[in-house]
Formats: sequence, C-alpha cells, structure tokens
Amino acid sequence: MSVAPVAPVVPVDVRGVRWRLRLRNAHEFARRYAGRRDGVVGAAVLLLFAVLAIAPHLFVGPLQTVTTATGAALEPPSSAHLLGTDEVGRDMLNLTVHGARVSMVIGLLATLITILLGAVIGIVSGFLGGRSDQVLMRLTDFFLVLPTFVLAIVLAPIILDIVGTDAEFFGIRATLFVIIVVIGLTSWASTARIIRSQTLSVKERMFVDRARVIGGSRAHIMRRHILPNVVNLIVANTVLTFAGAIFTETTLSFIGLGDPFAPSWGQLLNAAQESGAPGLGAWWYIVPPAFCVVVVILAFTLVGNALDDVLNPKSATR
Amino acid sequence: MSARYLARQSAQAIFTILMIVLLNFLLFRMMPGSPDRVNPRNPNVTAEQREAAKARWGLDQPLIPDQLVAFVGSTLQGDLGYSMKFQGQPVLKVIGDRFMPTVLLIGLAELIAIVLGLALGAYTGWRRGGMADRIGNGLSLILYSMPYFVIGMPLIIIFAAGLGWFPTSGMLTAGASYAGPGQFLADLLAHLVLPLATISLGLIGGYSILMRSSITETRAEDYIATARAKGLPDGKILRSHAIPNALLPAVTLIAINLGYVVGGAITAEIVFNWPGLGTLTVDALNSRDYPVLQGIFLLLGVSVVLANFVADIVYGYLDPRVRQ
Repeated sequence: MSVAPVAPVVPVDVRGVRWRLRLRNAHEFARRYAGRRDGVVGAAVLLLFAVLAIAPHLFVGPLQTVTTATGAALEPPSSAHLLGTDEVGRDMLNLTVHGARVSMVIGLLATLITILLGAVIGIVSGFLGGRSDQVLMRLTDFFLVLPTFVLAIVLAPIILDIVGTDAEFFGIRATLFVIIVVIGLTSWASTARIIRSQTLSVKERMFVDRARVIGGSRAHIMRRHILPNVVNLIVANTVLTFAGAIFTETTLSFIGLGDPFAPSWGQLLNAAQESGAPGLGAWWYIVPPAFCVVVVILAFTLVGNALDDVLNPKSATR
Repeated sequence: MSARYLARQSAQAIFTILMIVLLNFLLFRMMPGSPDRVNPRNPNVTAEQREAAKARWGLDQPLIPDQLVAFVGSTLQGDLGYSMKFQGQPVLKVIGDRFMPTVLLIGLAELIAIVLGLALGAYTGWRRGGMADRIGNGLSLILYSMPYFVIGMPLIIIFAAGLGWFPTSGMLTAGASYAGPGQFLADLLAHLVLPLATISLGLIGGYSILMRSSITETRAEDYIATARAKGLPDGKILRSHAIPNALLPAVTLIAINLGYVVGGAITAEIVFNWPGLGTLTVDALNSRDYPVLQGIFLLLGVSVVLANFVADIVYGYLDPRVRQ
C-alpha cells in the first residue's frame, strides 16, 4: 500500500497518558502527604508493626506455649526476659511480638469485610435509588443504631456454638474466624452511609450520563465510573475502620471471646486480668500488650485522618 | 416542632425496636440444642415424650407467626424468661439487680467527661494550631485510642496495688458492717474513684475531638467576625458566641451516649469487678446464659434507640433546618 498520508495522524498513546497521569497524581499525593508530620509518623509506626506481624519468629523465635515456656511464673523484667514472663513462665516479649500478627491479621480481614459490605451497599444504594435505596438505607440505619458491640457479644457465642470451636475456615481457627465475621457484619453501616452520599453526588455528573447514553449497563457504570470516584473516600475510611476493628477485636478478646492458642494483644490482657496481674502489681504483663494496642490504634487514626485531609480536601475543615 | 417530624421520628424508633425484638427472636432460635433436637440421642425417650416436650415448650407450633406472636407478646409484658445461671430467677429480676450500680457509675462518669471533654475541646479548637491545642488534641487522640481496660489496669497497678490508696475491686467492702450512712458512703466512694476515673478518661477523648472540630467550624462563621469587629474580648466571643453554637453536634453525641449508660463500659466493670450490667453480660456470656444475654441485648437496644430518638428531637428543636 503506497497511499501517501494526507496528514500525519499522531497515534494517541492512551495507556501512556493514563500512566503519566497516574504517576503525576501519585507524586502530588506523596508530596502533600509528606507535609503531614503526624501521618508520616503514624505510617512509620504501622510499617514497623507490619514487619513484626509478617515475620514474628525472625525476631523472637516461635510462639512459646505452656510446654516451651522459658522462665518462671510472673518474673519481672530481667536480662533473660526483657519484658518479664506471664503466669506460666512464657516470655512476654515473645508473646507481644506474636500478638502483633494475630491482632493485625484479624483487624485486616475484619476491615476487608467491613469495607466490601459498606462500599457495595453504599454504591448500589446511592446509584440505583428508589425502592432499593430505601430498603438498604433502612437496613443501614438499623445497624447504625444497633449497639454493635453488644450484638457482637451475642452473635459470637451463637455462631461458635453452631460451627463448633474446633472447626477451621480457610486455615483460620473458628474462634478467630467468628471474631472477624462478627466485626465485619456489625460495623459496615457508617461506611455505607459515607459512600452512598458521595455516590449520590458523583451520579449527577455529566460523564455518568454519557456512559448511560452510549449504552453502558448499570453494573458497568458502577464499576468503571462510580467506584473510581469514591475510591478516595474508601481508602481513608479503610484505614480508620482498621483502627476500629483492632479496638473491637481487643475488647472482644478481653472479655473472653478470643483464642488462647493464638493470643492477640486483647487475649494477653484477658489472661493478665484472669491471673490477677493488676492486683499483684505485675505491670510487665499488662504494659507491653496495652502499649502496642494504643500505639497501633493511634497510628491508624493519625494515618486515616491525614489521608482523609489529603485525599478529600473538602472535608479538611472538619 | 412540626407534628410530622415528630411522627416520622417516632415511627422510625418503633420500627427499629420491633426489628430488635425480631432479631432477638431469630438469633436465639438459630442456636443448637432445643429439647426436640437433643432428646433423639437418648434411646429411652419415646416419640410420644418428645412430642409432649415439644408441645410443652410450644415448639410444635409454626415458627412464624405463632411462636413469634407468643414471643413478642410476653416480651411486651416484661416476661423475658428465666436465667439459666442464677438459679432460674426471672431475667427481669437478674437484670434489675445490676441496674443501679451501672447507672450510678456510668452516669457520673458521663457527667465528668462531658464537662471536661467539652471544655478541653472548646479551648483547643479556639486556639487551633497553638501549643495548648497540640498537647490537648494529642492527649484526646491518645485517650480516644484506649479501650477502658487499658486505662483501668494501669490505674489499679499504680493506685491500688502500688500505693494502696484505693481498693482493687467491687463496689463495697465484702462483709463490712457500717455504723452509719457516712461510713457507707465513704466506702462506696473509695471503691468508686478508680472505675469512675477510668470511664471518664475513656470518654473525654471523644467529646473533646468532636467539640474541637465543631468550634473550629464555628470560628469561621460570619457572626464571629462580626463579634470581633464589634471589639468584644476574645474570651467573651468564645463563651457567648462560639460555644453555644458549637454545642449543637455535642448535644447529639451526649444524647446518643446516654443510651449506652446502661451497658456502656463492660470492660471497665470487668477490670474493677463492679457488680453492674457489664459484669453480668460477661458472666452470662461465659456460662452461655442466653436468656440473660437476650434480655441485656433488648434493654440496651431499646435504650439506644430511645436515646437516638431524643437526640433527633432535641436536634430538631435546636436546629430548625433539619425539621423538613
């Protein structure tokens, strides 16, 4: 073919442009996030705990059990046991580092369930409107008003009695699995509310109409046009939800719904309470897990607030 | 306040309470171990006996509507069944016995936290960005990140086990006899200090953070600029112009929180072995005393719904814009 080109058609490299835009956005985001000192400190703390959670055995060896305990009962801190021992002689440093893994994994999975439920219900409810919106929002209001913590307390033993304590789901022991599901089921409502209100405003924009005019299905529009525009809210909300999930997990474990064989920080504090450590003045049994809980929840809150301010500038005044 | 706004809020509250009763009904029928499901394991139980047991408990009737109607009916009459753990006492009595200690503890703690938290939030929000704000807000965020037991256990270690100033647990000294009401009050007060401090500290963070952001928003309003232009002193603007307007969202939070007065600080009660509804919840949980758990869930659900209802009404009264 030897037809002379009339005018050189410059091929638009759609992908290249998209990537360059993304890169610029990411760069802009990093620049603005770096300006938030509290957010940076929080992120650093979370990174540290993430490393501990991924490979606790690299730092303190395998999780000590009653049979592999290395010390005497309730020993105060010494050079052999930097953070002392618990009531059966297990090393507190060992337990606390391993607790990071349990607490963070439960928090992560519960957060994923919460956000998934909240985002799907929020987007669908806001986008479809009408009857489905009414029904879904009634349900959301119900879960919003319901004392979720007490519902969790009531739900957990029932589910546990049905499935049995020895069951396993996806390699997670039933007790922990139930905590994850219960937190997820009881805390999605506020996320759904936030996502829905944002969906309502995105829905009115021109590009959604255009997508509808050229025949985009509702599922397609929700996935490709609504979701990308509410994702900023989802990200900030995920981090804050994570803080809440760890808070709830710690509390549920503390009142005895945790798994003694996979001790989270809350479970350790439960054991401390049961063994009478506070009355005995055994501060080393309580301070390490309590400190970790507070620091991690605080770090998630700081990062979440910073992300919210950077990603959703409109809410910055709040 | 328009009658329509009132009617809509009441309808919503009643609907939610009915949903809670329904949830209560369904949840506890999902549990394993009803009489007709346990008996088949015993070869000596005949089919007739099983049928008789089912008829006695009303289990031969259809779940919906007959069983549900019976359940809702007796719930409305205050019949919440019988406790399994506490010698078969009526649930209503078991819960009633634990009611006052919790209301005393959490009610006082809320009062302290509301006053201190709102004051701290108002001050830090007004001085946003300054030294006092950084310290005050940092403190609020830390307190907000602490579950009650994380606050309470160190308090016991320091002030009860260490310094010996206060008792470690309970509401009164066990087996003590009092010469007069003064001694009784002194004993109660000594037991009250640490749990009260724990819950107040735990609540202050939330109030302070809310009030701080509310004050910050109010500070940007035109009427504050007007007040400043009039030459009013700073403290006067804060007290008579900013705080009254910024209190609006705080009022809602207070009303909603009051709903949790009944069962709020479960873990704080555990730490101090306070004989209230929180320890009852965990006792019932550990011994799988489902009727009691059910009763607590109902009580808490209803009080939270009522508190939300009050919050909506108060808010509608204070802010005419939400009434439409």
